[in-house]
Amino acid sequence: MSAPQKSLAQRLFEPKAIDRQSLVAFIITYALLFLWALVVLVPLYWVLITSFKGPGEVDNGPFYLPFIDFTPSLQAWDFMLLQNYTLGPYLNSVVVALASTTLALLIGSLAAYALVRIRFEVKLAGVALFVLLLVAVIAAVASFGVTWPIATSVALALFVIAMFTFIGRTQAAVGNNDIEFWIISNRIMPPIVAVLPIYVMFQQLRLLDTQAALIATYTAVNLPIVVWLTRDFFAAIPLDLEESAEIDGASKLRVFATIALPLVRSGLVATFLLVLILAWNEYLLALFLSNVKAQTMPVLVSAQNTTRGPQWWNMSVLIVVMIAPVVAIASVLQKHIARGLLVGAVKG
Amino acid sequence: MQVTLSQIYKSFGPVEVVKGLDLKIADGEFLVLLGPSGCGKTTALRMVAGLETVTSGGILIGERDVTHVLPKYRDVAMVFQSYALYPHMTVAENIGYPLKMRKSPPAERDAAIRNAAVKVHLEEYLERYPRQLSGGQRQRVALARAMVRRPSVFLMDEPLSNLDAKLRGAMRSELKRLQAELGVTTIYVTHDQVEAMTLAHRVAIMNKGVVQQIAEPRRIYDDPANLFVAGFIGSPPMNFLDGEQKDGNFIWPEGRFKTGIAGFAKTVTAGLRPEDCRVTSPDKGKIKARVYALELIGDHTLISCQVGDRTVTVKADKSAHYAMDEPIGIDFQETSVFLFDGDTGARIRASSR
Ligand SMILES: Nc1ncnc2c1ncn2[C@@H]1O[C@H](COP(=O)(O)OP(=O)(O)OP(=O)(O)O)[C@@H](O)[C@H]1O
Ligand SMILES: [Mg+2]
Repeated sequence: MSAPQKSLAQRLFEPKAIDRQSLVAFIITYALLFLWALVVLVPLYWVLITSFKGPGEVDNGPFYLPFIDFTPSLQAWDFMLLQNYTLGPYLNSVVVALASTTLALLIGSLAAYALVRIRFEVKLAGVALFVLLLVAVIAAVASFGVTWPIATSVALALFVIAMFTFIGRTQAAVGNNDIEFWIISNRIMPPIVAVLPIYVMFQQLRLLDTQAALIATYTAVNLPIVVWLTRDFFAAIPLDLEESAEIDGASKLRVFATIALPLVRSGLVATFLLVLILAWNEYLLALFLSNVKAQTMPVLVSAQNTTRGPQWWNMSVLIVVMIAPVVAIASVLQKHIARGLLVGAVKG
Repeated sequence: MQVTLSQIYKSFGPVEVVKGLDLKIADGEFLVLLGPSGCGKTTALRMVAGLETVTSGGILIGERDVTHVLPKYRDVAMVFQSYALYPHMTVAENIGYPLKMRKSPPAERDAAIRNAAVKVHLEEYLERYPRQLSGGQRQRVALARAMVRRPSVFLMDEPLSNLDAKLRGAMRSELKRLQAELGVTTIYVTHDQVEAMTLAHRVAIMNKGVVQQIAEPRRIYDDPANLFVAGFIGSPPMNFLDGEQKDGNFIWPEGRFKTGIAGFAKTVTAGLRPEDCRVTSPDKGKIKARVYALELIGDHTLISCQVGDRTVTVKADKSAHYAMDEPIGIDFQETSVFLFDGDTGARIRASSR
């Protein structure tokens, strides 16, 4: 095993013998790191101090240091958190982000696991027929006035008959690689391209401006990312482990739950964080699908760009309260992102 | 429980890996599958476990046809060649996993885990994780996990391959004793003939997916069925000489000697075990030779003898001493000569005249 982990401070301030060459490297490294830190930290700092400013400080600025070149006030905080109903959008964001991320992770990891461990062979003719029938159903309903139930049941019957007769005898088939590519290809075009059909669909379902619509959409949009990331984690697990568990008496689902899942925990945590942040910050789809009841924080932030011009101080308050929980969750989950979980499983 | 494999064939794509495997393993028997690397031992074992489908043929465990039964319902325990330990579980959790999956009560489970751990001398390591163990210790965890239950069949894929010589010897006798006590039918895969000879009730020798001979260890050594078995069993390996059998004599470029097998003209291969040969003076032996090299191996000496352009190994007493290139004679009893058909490699026995 490696030496015990040292704390960051210990590592930074440990005295080291520094020769001339490494001194240069040292200076360059830290100069670059310092620059990068500026790029990351200054905007955060700016948002933070802006939230304590008012219209006067912003318009006459720039002011850099609270208490020194301007007097901070809690006015914007008071306005956004007490007078304005920010809690509603905030809760919407929390519910939508957590629910959609959990769902995407659940469905996505199961799908990824299946893609890694089961060999699929789907007849191309079957896929083509399915798409064809789908189009036919829509055409029949839209242009010829056939009712939904009749159109779908006829199509379903045709599909089943075809599957059991000639389609089984065709050669061309799609395998796991094709399915994986198809899944990731869903993310090649930005999801917003499909926003109109999505909008119409939820309109028909009377789900516009509900958390459910946002949860469903975010889950669907983030699924490909989850599948694509987690499939590699599952693929890294030696097959012997799962076979051994099967012989030991575990069902496929228990193998997944007691062997595969614990071994990809790190990867799942990282994926969870990534997808959570994507859902938490999502703006465009929320703009279309929510109005008042289901409004999320990013939409509320942009709403601060009012007819009287952008209310930078109010916006800053919202951004600060948006960043805080993500930072908190990330630091809590960070310790679960460990490496070397598979050491000792198999020979070699 | 009795295990029956009948006419098992297995192909991976165009490659046929197991060809017509027929095995009948009695209840409580310890059967060793022995063969060189890549001969299909693991594949055969995996088919019994249900991890690999058979291309054709049938498998019975007891009276039950399990050919198409999922692994979890076959009631077997397997030690994998790669150990296959669960890295996120402690040693105790690893050993207890089969019990947990089969829902045995926790109190019973703890006792069983401890028991199994004691048998493989791991009782001090129960709280460790696999990554904190040496290769040999990991292998013993895998053994304990298999032996924590009393399944219908034990399947073991080279379970002692990673232990050092001393521990392997100890584990070998431990394993033999355990198996006898538990009385569980065992199929044990190895390519180590010493393991096979010491552990097995019967040995099945495989080569290129075909079983060459199934017999008790002594029979395999005393009465090999063909050239492959004769050459595979025995250390150092049997000496093979190519020549002709004519009127009960073996005739080859370096001379002739009686074989004890009456027979007419045919190209054959004669086999002589090094331990059946003796060194005598050049004019007395059945084969004239020169000493090529001497190797002292503890309790005996191996003498490599040059006979024409061939080398014949003789196992001699540890006190044997000869000069390099010293002319000697190699003597043996005519009954210790094995004869094999020059074309098929099949054994030619004294009775088959
Ligand atoms: N999944 C597979 N796909 C294709 N070929 C395979 C597969 N598994 C095994 N083989 C081939 O089958 C043959 C037998 O393999 P197997 O693992 O049974 O050998 P073995 O006797 O256990 O060898 P070893 O002593 O080295 O473990 C090998 O030639 C191997 O390449
Ligand atoms: Mg093997």
